[in-house]
Amino acid sequence: MLCEHCKKREATVKYVEVINGVKTEHNLCTQCASHIDMGQYSALFEGEFPLGKLLSGLLGMQETDPASEKFSGVVCPVCGTTYEEFVKNSRFGCPDCYSVFDPLIAENIRHLQGSEKHVGKRPAYLTRGTEQPKEGEEEVPGSSTPGAEGPAPLTMEERVRLLRTRLKDAVKREEYEEAASLRDEIHKLEEESGQHE
Amino acid sequence: MSKWYEEPGRPGSNVVYSRVRLVRNWREYPFPGKMTKEQSAEMTGRLYEGLAGIGSLDGKNFRFAYLDRMADLEKTALFERRAINRSVLKKHAASGLILSEDEREGIVLNGDDHIRIQTVDMGFCLEKLYQEANRIDDYIGGRFDYSFDEKYGFLTSFPTNVGTGLRASVVVHLPMLSRRKNFNSLVADMARFGTVIRGVYGDGGENFGSLYQVSNQKTLGQTEKEIVDLVAKTAAELDVQERKLRSDAMAQRPLGRADETYKSYGVLKYARRLTRKDAMEFLSQLMAGINDGILKSETPCSVFGLMLGVQPANLLSRAEKPLDKEELDAARAQFLRERLPQIL
Repeated sequence: MLCEHCKKREATVKYVEVINGVKTEHNLCTQCASHIDMGQYSALFEGEFPLGKLLSGLLGMQETDPASEKFSGVVCPVCGTTYEEFVKNSRFGCPDCYSVFDPLIAENIRHLQGSEKHVGKRPAYLTRGTEQPKEGEEEVPGSSTPGAEGPAPLTMEERVRLLRTRLKDAVKREEYEEAASLRDEIHKLEEESGQHE
Repeated sequence: MSKWYEEPGRPGSNVVYSRVRLVRNWREYPFPGKMTKEQSAEMTGRLYEGLAGIGSLDGKNFRFAYLDRMADLEKTALFERRAINRSVLKKHAASGLILSEDEREGIVLNGDDHIRIQTVDMGFCLEKLYQEANRIDDYIGGRFDYSFDEKYGFLTSFPTNVGTGLRASVVVHLPMLSRRKNFNSLVADMARFGTVIRGVYGDGGENFGSLYQVSNQKTLGQTEKEIVDLVAKTAAELDVQERKLRSDAMAQRPLGRADETYKSYGVLKYARRLTRKDAMEFLSQLMAGINDGILKSETPCSVFGLMLGVQPANLLSRAEKPLDKEELDAARAQFLRERLPQIL
């Protein structure tokens, strides 16, 4: 069936409207469907993340609730994400958004996730300080860094290896200028390491 | 070196492959949605440098590539092979891919989140894949401090990933179960236990090839082990139900089953033109036939590997020239003719 609006594309969206008990049916393609006003469901046809958008539909429903109106001015001071933006994209801008929006979204996260408390793995830098050998060690010996702060500096060999893979990639893409400068960098590193030996 | 999907599956089981994905963010930067172009480029470069030695983890060769500079066709082919996710396909800011030679381990840098670790392999192996992803996670986490919150766990761009950042999935081949009238209610029941089931290939409501992915819905409030166990249990249950239907069918109409299998082999081996839908449907029949011991091939064959190979971007990148619809269908038939093993 063709879309009743543009009459060109295949209709893939069936939209049934019931107003005061009168049922009207529309058969539309996704493009045309995104242009007509379906309230919160419109979000489903925009962009590529139907699942994420569905969530924003759920979150957005709260906007009619007067209690959340006053939150509409809330902005994350770190990355500038506004509450509206978050509701629209269901997407946080930075780690701090979680604490900024927490009072507004905790209920939704609990609804979505069925829980609001993480009970799984913790990152290495937090377990590193607490001298408890039970975790980390028994699981994967030798895989955590030997107590070093921040990223470990690369060895010469690792750096050359990285440059080589980037060189291969550049050649594959026919980016010869980039490849030439990578090659020079490799030569330079190799010469340096030769001198040190 | 052969790719993970070229390994023949284990006969008897309807589980095709398993996959584990972990998402993490580096606490020095905002999430990708709020990063400037410069920040994206800088962070991707720094992650690359910090992870240059990743091959030392298990002695594999890793390819380092910038996704934003890769040709669309190659990216789509990687997407069809499950190496990258959909959202980095159209991303313009710097994003990277670190992929092992056999494509079993992959790390996407600066996609929806800063770091997306994936391990994937044929068969039912979620637990092993989680251990491997966890090892890569420890390696990266030892070099870059992750965004973490005592309450919410690992912080992610989307609230649907927060907590463990873990998505465990198992793809199961369900040609008979999915045709049952009560399949949809079965899927709905599974959702109540916290798993999501969706078709893997197809357009709109259709699913070509009867491959279904089972994965966890929730990422917060459960340990990684609980999540892995839940998904594994659901997949095993679906496998058992499918097996029962198939052995019933074998008992009740052995000739019918043999006929379906051999006809599918015949079409795949001799057709000169095959649409994606037809190829997937016949490959699905063949997969079931080999699995049920109806048809035996001279050499082991990964039917799933063929399913990946007949996807459009993979055919096009093999052709090395643009193809129209008919040429693509012809290339698909040729691809299958050349690769289907002789039968005993």
